[in-house]
Amino acid sequence: MGRYLIARLFQGILVVLLISLITFIIVRLIPGDPVDLLLGEGQVPITEAQVEAIRRQWGLDRPLWEQYLTWMGKMLTGNFGTSIIRTGVPVNRMIWEAVPVTALLNLLALGIAIAVAIPAGIIAGARRNSWFDYLLTGGSTLGIALPNFWLGLMLIVVFGVMLRWLPPFGLRSWQGYILPVVVLATEQMAMLARVMRGAMIEILNQDYIKTARSKGLSDRAILFGHAVPNALLPVVTVIGFRIAFLLSGTIIIESVFALPGIGRLLYDSVFRLDYQVAQAIVMVLSILVVVVNLLTDLTYAAIDPRLRLLARSR
Amino acid sequence: MVYSRRPPSGARAGFVRRRDFLKRSLLMGAAASSSGALLSLLASHDEAQSQSSTPVRGGTFVAVGHQEVPTLSPGKAVGNVPLFIMYQLYDGLVDVDENFEVQPALAESWEISDDGLTYTFKLRKGVLFHDGVEMTSEDVKYTYEFYGDPESGSTISGQAADIESIDTPDPYTVVFTLSQPNATFLRITATNYYIVPKHYHEEVGEEVFETRPIGTGAFKLKEWRPAEFTELEAFDDHFRGRPNIDILRQEIVPEASVRAIAMETGQADTMTWPPLIEDNLRFAADTENFTTFVSSSLSVNHFPLNNNHPILSDKRVRQAMMYAFDRPRQINDVQQGAATLATSNLSPSLVQWFEAMVTTYDYNPAKAEELLEEAGWTMGSDGIREKDGQKLTFTCTTITGDQARRPQAEILQQQLLAVGIDMQLSEAPITAIQTGLRNNTVDASLFNWNYGGTNGDPDAPTTLPSDGRSNWSNFANARVDELLKLGRQEVDPERRAEYYREIQRIVADEVPFLFVMYWDWFNIFSSRIKGLPKSALAGDFIYKKLHEIWIEA
Repeated sequence: MGRYLIARLFQGILVVLLISLITFIIVRLIPGDPVDLLLGEGQVPITEAQVEAIRRQWGLDRPLWEQYLTWMGKMLTGNFGTSIIRTGVPVNRMIWEAVPVTALLNLLALGIAIAVAIPAGIIAGARRNSWFDYLLTGGSTLGIALPNFWLGLMLIVVFGVMLRWLPPFGLRSWQGYILPVVVLATEQMAMLARVMRGAMIEILNQDYIKTARSKGLSDRAILFGHAVPNALLPVVTVIGFRIAFLLSGTIIIESVFALPGIGRLLYDSVFRLDYQVAQAIVMVLSILVVVVNLLTDLTYAAIDPRLRLLARSR
Repeated sequence: MVYSRRPPSGARAGFVRRRDFLKRSLLMGAAASSSGALLSLLASHDEAQSQSSTPVRGGTFVAVGHQEVPTLSPGKAVGNVPLFIMYQLYDGLVDVDENFEVQPALAESWEISDDGLTYTFKLRKGVLFHDGVEMTSEDVKYTYEFYGDPESGSTISGQAADIESIDTPDPYTVVFTLSQPNATFLRITATNYYIVPKHYHEEVGEEVFETRPIGTGAFKLKEWRPAEFTELEAFDDHFRGRPNIDILRQEIVPEASVRAIAMETGQADTMTWPPLIEDNLRFAADTENFTTFVSSSLSVNHFPLNNNHPILSDKRVRQAMMYAFDRPRQINDVQQGAATLATSNLSPSLVQWFEAMVTTYDYNPAKAEELLEEAGWTMGSDGIREKDGQKLTFTCTTITGDQARRPQAEILQQQLLAVGIDMQLSEAPITAIQTGLRNNTVDASLFNWNYGGTNGDPDAPTTLPSDGRSNWSNFANARVDELLKLGRQEVDPERRAEYYREIQRIVADEVPFLFVMYWDWFNIFSSRIKGLPKSALAGDFIYKKLHEIWIEA
């Protein structure tokens, strides 16, 4: 187990290093000059000295390899540098301010999705072809198919404009979270419910369920003693996957509802060639994915005896 | 439908009063507009203003913009949304108002020497910064020296390049000596340099200052969250008097439709970046709930053509494209009539500088074909013209996801094909297009850009000179280069105007880019906002007057 852990850890570090290099290159492959964006469109005299000074200030005049090493060096000390567009603001602070918004949004959505989708998926799977099952299958197909920006705009129109119950945008009060959370939860709910239902149906057809039934166990005991715990495994995997992507995947929703989260920060920084910010966000997100993957694998190894054996035999 | 939105013939001499000019162009615009909604805008809004009673104190004014306010430094802010905040926090020596008139601000008067090299400003006495310290000539000198130094990384240092020395004979006098005459000094430099307090800026440094600024403006900073909102509060000791409203807030709402919703639900009092044209026209028609100012954008909607491209370098080909191009149709179909036909590089709203007597290009495909024949391009069997075995083809790269303008390129594509020109379409982000035009890897594009007119000044230092940083068409014309230089150094406005009129005639004749139209620019206010100006040629500059407005109880 110890060697396995070290090997996985080493693997993780290698992946992060590789990602850092790829990120650095890709961000710089976006054509364009950040200085253009800094100077704006207005017709005012601009001198060469001025352009060069700005370039120097942001280290854009240095060779690429040097820029990369400088960035990596700083990053090892936990410093992501400063934003070019939001002149001089530390990237760390920008990320720290944006993370809670996105994290809260996603955690609330995921929480609601789990609370609704798992019982619904269990019932639909257990009562296959019932009216409830049809409702859930139909509803979840719709929930996955609806583009979330469209759903967001519709909710704004209905609850923000027509009924005026909720603020149409922004986070000036806690009510600002309601509509975006509903939109995000809808999509995740639909997905989780489908996975749960599918897993239930599959498990309920297994031989050991038939055995349990022929032993004379009650439906209730079969359902909660055998079927549900086993059917939960794939659902847990999906939830783990969602947690890994907790901070991404809300780019569009954050723009629609004007929320200052990490998704919008990433989107803006890519479009405004704010290299430091874009790089930092991609790094933070990928480190998060690597860490969560590592933890998931280790948890599996701890839970599943077969994986544990495999690890030991290595 | 007859399209006629030419500027009135008298505009050139400047004897048409601005209001009349605006009203007339509005009426003509309304005739052309499919909705016909703009008809009585100005009239009704005059009535609304005259009915309004005495100013009321208090309340919160909310604006919605589309992009974050990345900095509060007066030396770095660019773009409408950040500038909206700058107008409230700071003042310059002089200011350009919503009708492009130069007005006193921190300077109450100024004198220009006959040789145009010395500018002497007399400062207003008793102007206080937000921390209660009086503003003096030392602060002015400090500001110009700090942001005028390229090493400061400011975006405005180039505007101070002609300043040789700054003297402060007494606390209320500042004397600028220039190395060469600079006719743009008042409208550009003295307007754009917002004065910061020496004692504070020197102490905390630019990095802190740009997050916790102090100015002389009518509002002072309360809270700033770059991507969310900026909240300002009334400055009691402002030199023009305390503003009527207590709180002024700008919210950042990226989605155009959500900004329109904010207006509609009364959550916003104005939009610092307009929504879709349909929403603009709808609000403009609703005179009961909204007060709308329609001005002409200074940026021209145009197809930059890379003049270094082997085919596009031929002036006859470029002219032929103008004749083959039904521009009024684009104004009506794509912009719903809310635009003015472009005749050259300057907007007709710049009445002092606008040139009406230029080569015009009425839709005339026959003439286009004639020009192409003359240039040696003969019709090929596939309907595409060719010369020496080469096809008359090039690619127009539009901005990725640009729903508003992309249809224009599609319409033009068909019209060019009708005369045997093959224009292919592709997409790329704006930054990629601009770099591509510079490096000659992009043939043509479509976007709006300013070719003169900033602050009502006709100079175009980055877009028209052959070595201009933003000369997207790689247009190189020795006479234009010379005229720009002459125009920048000529302090007599009448003589100066002649240079810029000649530039417009050359641009119209040379067609460095396909100039299409000047979009109508909508500045829309909730009707509860009173005390707004009567009219505006520069709608965004109404936001410089928010200390005068009040909210109807």
